[in-house]
Amino acid sequence: MSLLRTRWLHWVLGIALGGVFLYAAWSKLLDPRPLVTIIWGYRILPAGPIDLMAIYMPWLELLVGVCLLTGFKRRAAAFWAAALLVMFELALGVNALRGVNVACGCFSASAEETHNAWFLVLRDLPMLAAALVMLLCPPRRDAPNS
Amino acid sequence: MRGLLRDAATILAAVLLLGTASNLIPARHLAWWGKGTEPPAAGKDFQLLDAGSADSMRTSLPRVVFLDTRAAAEFVAGHVPGATAISYTDLPRQLTAARLTELRNADAVVVYGASEETDIEQLLAQELRRRGMPPPYVLAGGVSAWIGAGLPLERGDAR
Repeated sequence: MSLLRTRWLHWVLGIALGGVFLYAAWSKLLDPRPLVTIIWGYRILPAGPIDLMAIYMPWLELLVGVCLLTGFKRRAAAFWAAALLVMFELALGVNALRGVNVACGCFSASAEETHNAWFLVLRDLPMLAAALVMLLCPPRRDAPNS
Repeated sequence: MRGLLRDAATILAAVLLLGTASNLIPARHLAWWGKGTEPPAAGKDFQLLDAGSADSMRTSLPRVVFLDTRAAAEFVAGHVPGATAISYTDLPRQLTAARLTELRNADAVVVYGASEETDIEQLLAQELRRRGMPPPYVLAGGVSAWIGAGLPLERGDAR
């Protein structure tokens, strides 16, 4: 368990997960409109809040990515990362159970991955685990750097 | 714990500020509450087309554009002759001004996927219509119906 509280592990996890979130945010920030139809495609939310989600979610992904990458307010960023990933898991899982292959909207360039909802569910699990480690096992103040 | 909640609230406040400010930019503005998120509707956003009619259109009209929404590997394995691969999750990069001009100047645009499930094709058709195009056609049954009708496929790289 002490390994989970070492500073270098949190830096590695933060850089890796932060990079993923920054990559995911980029294309949605450039033009959030396709994201509206992607979120609709999940067929979970009613029409009303879908636009709000498309407006704000990419910015949350961006700030979470920046904070994880730089270490600034890393634990709070891990909290939001975990919240987002739990939400993604639920949305993908529901559609996987429905047998519906949604366009996930996770990363703009991942067309092949849109056809396998269970794969997407599994792919997000290590990211969720990384976020939970940073959230629940903060490095001890006296923890060594290595 | 209080520090964590305070930091999380700070991030949330920054998100609300940035998101609100960015949505005031007319070029990327979205309605605040759900306008324009209606499901694609046949007739309004797209028209369903059977494989035989799609092939007749392909052979009789000079500029019919087929858009293939399947994965790149499926496209390479076999697609409607002359079709263009398009990824629904990469539209900002793929729907360039030149591509949209080509689509607007086409005699017809037919969007197709793998099979009976045409959710993605309908969403793509709706997205194209929002960008100023007349309602595209969606191939009912996708490539499965195309093959079932005995129509030819072309092999090769995604374009």
